[in-house]
Amino acid sequence: MATDQALAGLRVVECGGMVSAAYAAKLMADLGAEVVKVEPGSGDASRRRGPFPRGHDDDPEASGLFLYLNANKKGVTLDPGRAQDRETLLELLADADVFIHNLSIDEATGAGIDYASIHERLPSLVYTWVTPFGLSGPHARWQAENISVAAAGGWASVTPGNSLLADEPPLVAFGRQADFQAAAHAAVVTMGALFARKRTGRGQLVEVSAQECIAAALELALVNFTYTGAVASRLGIRTSAPMEIMECKDGLIFVMTADPHQWDAFVHMMGDPEWASWEIFDDRFKRGENRDALRPLIEDWLMAHTVQEVFDMAGEARLPFAPVSDVGDLVNSPHLKARGFFVRARHPVAGGVTMPGAPYVLSETPWSLRSPAPLLGQHNDEVLGRFRKKVGV
Amino acid sequence: MSLQLARVLPLEGIRVIDMSWMWAGPYCSLQLAHLGAEVIRIETNQRPCMNRRVPPYPDGVPGLNRGGSFNQWNQGKGSVLLDMKKPEAVGLARELIAKSDVFIENYAAGVIDRLGLGYDVLSGLNPRLVMVSLSGYGLTGPYRHRVAFGTPLTMISGLGSLSGYIGRGPSEVGISYGDPNGGLHGAFALLAALWKREETGRGQYIDVSQWESLVAILPEGVLPYTMRGEQPERMGNRDFFMAPHGIYRALGDDRWISIAVRDDREWQRFARIIGGGLAEDGRFTKQADRKANEDAVEGIVEGWTSQRDEWLVAEQLQAAGIAAVPVMDMRDVAEDQHMNERGFFVRLEHPEVGRQKHAGIPWKLSETTLTVRRAAPCMGEDNEYVIKELLGRSEEEYQRLLDEQVL
Repeated sequence: MATDQALAGLRVVECGGMVSAAYAAKLMADLGAEVVKVEPGSGDASRRRGPFPRGHDDDPEASGLFLYLNANKKGVTLDPGRAQDRETLLELLADADVFIHNLSIDEATGAGIDYASIHERLPSLVYTWVTPFGLSGPHARWQAENISVAAAGGWASVTPGNSLLADEPPLVAFGRQADFQAAAHAAVVTMGALFARKRTGRGQLVEVSAQECIAAALELALVNFTYTGAVASRLGIRTSAPMEIMECKDGLIFVMTADPHQWDAFVHMMGDPEWASWEIFDDRFKRGENRDALRPLIEDWLMAHTVQEVFDMAGEARLPFAPVSDVGDLVNSPHLKARGFFVRARHPVAGGVTMPGAPYVLSETPWSLRSPAPLLGQHNDEVLGRFRKKVGV
Repeated sequence: MSLQLARVLPLEGIRVIDMSWMWAGPYCSLQLAHLGAEVIRIETNQRPCMNRRVPPYPDGVPGLNRGGSFNQWNQGKGSVLLDMKKPEAVGLARELIAKSDVFIENYAAGVIDRLGLGYDVLSGLNPRLVMVSLSGYGLTGPYRHRVAFGTPLTMISGLGSLSGYIGRGPSEVGISYGDPNGGLHGAFALLAALWKREETGRGQYIDVSQWESLVAILPEGVLPYTMRGEQPERMGNRDFFMAPHGIYRALGDDRWISIAVRDDREWQRFARIIGGGLAEDGRFTKQADRKANEDAVEGIVEGWTSQRDEWLVAEQLQAAGIAAVPVMDMRDVAEDQHMNERGFFVRLEHPEVGRQKHAGIPWKLSETTLTVRRAAPCMGEDNEYVIKELLGRSEEEYQRLLDEQVL
């Protein structure tokens, strides 16, 4: 029941192109917020990204990325650049608690929906603005795609890491991850601004810099530089071993022992081979130095087993190994099935679409899939009908 | 903006007890500290946080309070050091959690219950408590007892097999990505639960799976399989549609620039800058053509960028509205004029490492200047505050707890 959900009653208006604002609003929608997605008449760019079900190639009503990001939302079409549509948007915002978008500074200012313009009329609205570089500073107006943010935040320079492929460039992880990180940070701080509003009655501008979201999560790399001057690289093999992808009989597994007791457990798992007591493998750093000798010895043993066998033995031994899954393994995982993770949306054009579900289980106010993503302008009448005269339809 | 408003921290008055380890849990509670919550880490001597035991250390001198990694993820928090092997210490932890709003832990399923700090016990003491378990695999299902780390989780999530260079194997993604992503998802869920608590007066228990949090941000990998039975091939830095879209060599030693050309109009502007008749080359006029001739177009682009400084290329292309951004290494990030002007970095005095530069808060609020309020705590730095002020023990009692090494 939507009314039992954690964010039931919270009203969010989202003008989110592609991922960064849309996923933030999705996190809220999935916990019960009423999210209205505002798209231009031409439809959001994610409607053209796919994947498309067979028989629906390039159908903007059936694009998987859009269907995933916008389930549980209502959809209206407005072009805020047109004066009439801007007024309608302002009416819509007057009824909302949160406005979240990722328009560029020029787009938002040009349409008269930048923070200053909106806040003046709607002082209690929480206004969340996600941009690649934030709203101030010399690069505020720089253009960026997901790959640009991964580069600007420092992430690409250390990826893949543990690599000897010096001719290959810095790498970006698959699937617009920088956008998703900006989105998740934006959802968190938007909740913060809502708590502040509870006390002050006032909304405010929440400015999220995607570049800074990435630079804030660089694991050891950034402090390595600021503490010691060492510049981490995507290249060079780890000093500690084993901690890498290795080959089993039927596929790949990520082997990892960090603490000494984990190495001991792994050695025992392999049947206590004599080589494991060689001095060159005494501790993880020696094993790192002698990785070329170590790796084939481990792989000899791994190649006698399947990935699942090794994964299960590692589970028993409390080792953090994990298989290198392809998407089929993932979707068919018995564990995720038992948790009911994947959900199936029924969409009038795309049909049944299986997609990732709840990343978390809330004991009292569960995550839920209530409705598929909207068709383009599907809720224009329902949501904008109140303003019909002004809309002029 | 009134002065009064300027002082309102979003989560002021919310107390968070964090018994987590490594990165996921601390990254979760870091978000709350950034928003003004009082975050106190419960630590133990037997098993100090892994991040206290790994470099970097300034001047290479190790020390539990000197690690850059711990000091990054635990800014703005306090620390109480308890010997959790002693029942009295567990009792103190329980009492502290009962007086708090949020409890975060990230053991595998069942461990926290055996410690006597399970949700059933704690919610009986404090029905308003929001408890978050941030495990690798979640608290139910056949893998619930498995231990997990962020990088192996990128592998089982499918991200490893989707990422990587063309024609090569699955890849790591540079960081233990399962951790910060799981922590962030946990932070959002617990804020939603706190929001609901305002209405119901009751807390709840949140089971966050780091694995599932990763899969939730992989729709572009999952949906091709569920909708078409296909897994996208590893494509390096390329995009499904845009071309050129990649990271190209620049002038100098291991310098690189990212460039993404998003449509045909941008291509025309870009091609005119490169010159040599490229704008008129029919192989590249339309996006689909550039995609079909991607090796050729990338070769031309890299031939041009590799003769040039990446920052000059970025300035030139940005002036034409093209998304060109240098690949910033760690020095570039730390010294970035843009982020430094925005005040992103933090340098707070720390008793054992002095003033070190740390990444700060990646967002700004217009009505409140949010700042990191203190450097990461030394182990047990807040023992006295927690025992005397929060738990109301006398000085005598506090000394006894110290003498008996409960603290």
